[in-house]
Amino acid sequence: MRIVVVTSGKGGVGKTTTSAAFASGLALRGFKTAVIDFDVGLRNLDLIMGCERRVVYDFVNVLQGDAKLTQALIKDKHVDTLHILPASQTKDKDALTEEGVEKVIKELETMGFDYVVCDSPAGIERGALMALLFADEAIVVTNPEVSSVRDSDRILGILQSKSRRAMEGREPVKEHLLVTRYSAKRVEEGEMLSYKDIQELLRIPLLGVIPESDAVLQASNQGVPAIHLKGTDVAEAYADVVSRFLGEDKPLRFVSYEKPSLIKRLFGST
Amino acid sequence: MSEDVRFESGQFEGIVVRSPLVSPARLADVLHKRFAGTESYFGGEPAVLDFSEVSDWPEQVDWSGLVAFFRRLGLQPIGVRGVPESFDAALKRLHLAQLDATALRLEAVRRAEPAKTAPAAAPETPAPPPADTPRAAAPTKFIDRPVRSGQQIYAPEGDVVLMAGSNPGAEIIAAGSIHCWGPLRGRVLAGAGGNLQARIVATHFGPELVSIAGIYQTFENGLPPSIANRAVQVKLQIIQGQSHLLIEPIDTI
Ligand SMILES: Nc1ncnc2c1ncn2[C@@H]1O[C@H](COP(=O)(O)OP(=O)(O)OP(=O)(O)O)[C@@H](O)[C@H]1O
Ligand SMILES: [Mg+2]
Repeated sequence: MRIVVVTSGKGGVGKTTTSAAFASGLALRGFKTAVIDFDVGLRNLDLIMGCERRVVYDFVNVLQGDAKLTQALIKDKHVDTLHILPASQTKDKDALTEEGVEKVIKELETMGFDYVVCDSPAGIERGALMALLFADEAIVVTNPEVSSVRDSDRILGILQSKSRRAMEGREPVKEHLLVTRYSAKRVEEGEMLSYKDIQELLRIPLLGVIPESDAVLQASNQGVPAIHLKGTDVAEAYADVVSRFLGEDKPLRFVSYEKPSLIKRLFGST
Repeated sequence: MSEDVRFESGQFEGIVVRSPLVSPARLADVLHKRFAGTESYFGGEPAVLDFSEVSDWPEQVDWSGLVAFFRRLGLQPIGVRGVPESFDAALKRLHLAQLDATALRLEAVRRAEPAKTAPAAAPETPAPPPADTPRAAAPTKFIDRPVRSGQQIYAPEGDVVLMAGSNPGAEIIAAGSIHCWGPLRGRVLAGAGGNLQARIVATHFGPELVSIAGIYQTFENGLPPSIANRAVQVKLQIIQGQSHLLIEPIDTI
């Protein structure tokens, strides 16, 4: 079983959107996958996965022994091999203990899961530390702006010191850079950092670039992970990300901006 | 006892805090009124803590408490002045440089002297230390991964070699020299124990602050193109007994 944390430091960059799409993508490939919401107190993943009405027990109930893991895991409505462990909206963040989280992860392993995707909250507090503690791999979600890059850098430093792998001196957590909310047009116009700039600053391998798209908001309103939005660039970009994660070679898409032709500029694009 | 704590700028291009008090608790009491409890009153400026006016030194001083106190005010203490020798070890542990002006100048002159008799050496740079100094044996710290924002590398004795550069917000402090392959960003302090021979050498220069033996420079307004992102070395230059930072491109090959 591989544990993948989706993290960023900075808030609102697209971690939950990515966790939902990425976990769905792995499950679509036939892997038995669990996605865990570590954002205790906010609880967002179940909304984006469209399963909020089916939440009876949550992660904290399991940690506190009020429910069994099997009772709290929710089966995804789109893909059979995907399960969601939601966070609670009200409960105490202190419920996230190292021993508790470790127990849940061990149990997922005995249940035969191939992948566990941990959706980290923003910041570098307890929830974020717990989400990355057991990670084998990390997807560092970064937006094309300086403050997001700086926070990603900081979280990479924390992965190198606070993950179990680091503390036990094992092989380091495998790092992946995912640039999201990318607007090739605004990069071209010099308003945003390019993915190359970001990679140069962070110096970790690039897993993919997800374009900025209105489809994401529609998807989250409908409770459908973005990877299921057939025919949209976001869905295809996330599918490419899953392929690259699984070792397949996929060229980058949606990163260059074609200036509209003169005729289009003169007469508008109708 | 006087309670006249003064914050001066000048000689140092940073903040010199002249304090007749060494107790963090007393300082907090006295300064509370002045800063009305504003955390981070200052904007992260480097500061020299000058305790020459302390009339009555206690046996124990809470140095880390003092550093923490000034940090809360938004200052970055990088060295002290006017502190009795008995506290040397404690100050070293906190990598606070001893910046007594006279001592610094005397040492600079002494180190510079051999240069006069050695025609090969550039007249304005300090001479290399004798080949058999114990420093040669000090351990070198190799860092193979990028030093990231919020991370600190500290070498209390020898040199640091960064094999993958450092990022903005990182801090590298060495008693000896700092060598960097790849981008050098963040705060970079060599010669932290007062070693005037220390240098900073980088293939892609771009730090926020460099310092050698407490003589520092910041680059808030960016770096001049002659050195930005180029191979650069930083060393101390002694002119008429005064230390200055010399920051120059390395023209090799
Ligand atoms: N590719 C995208 N294009 C457009 N909007 C996006 C994209 N990705 C995410 N968003 C939007 O950005 C907002 C934040 O996304 P999301 O909740 O996934 O971020 P997060 O990092 O999990 O936030 P938090 O730190 O609060 O947990 C949402 O409104 C989402 O719809
Ligand atoms: Mg989220």
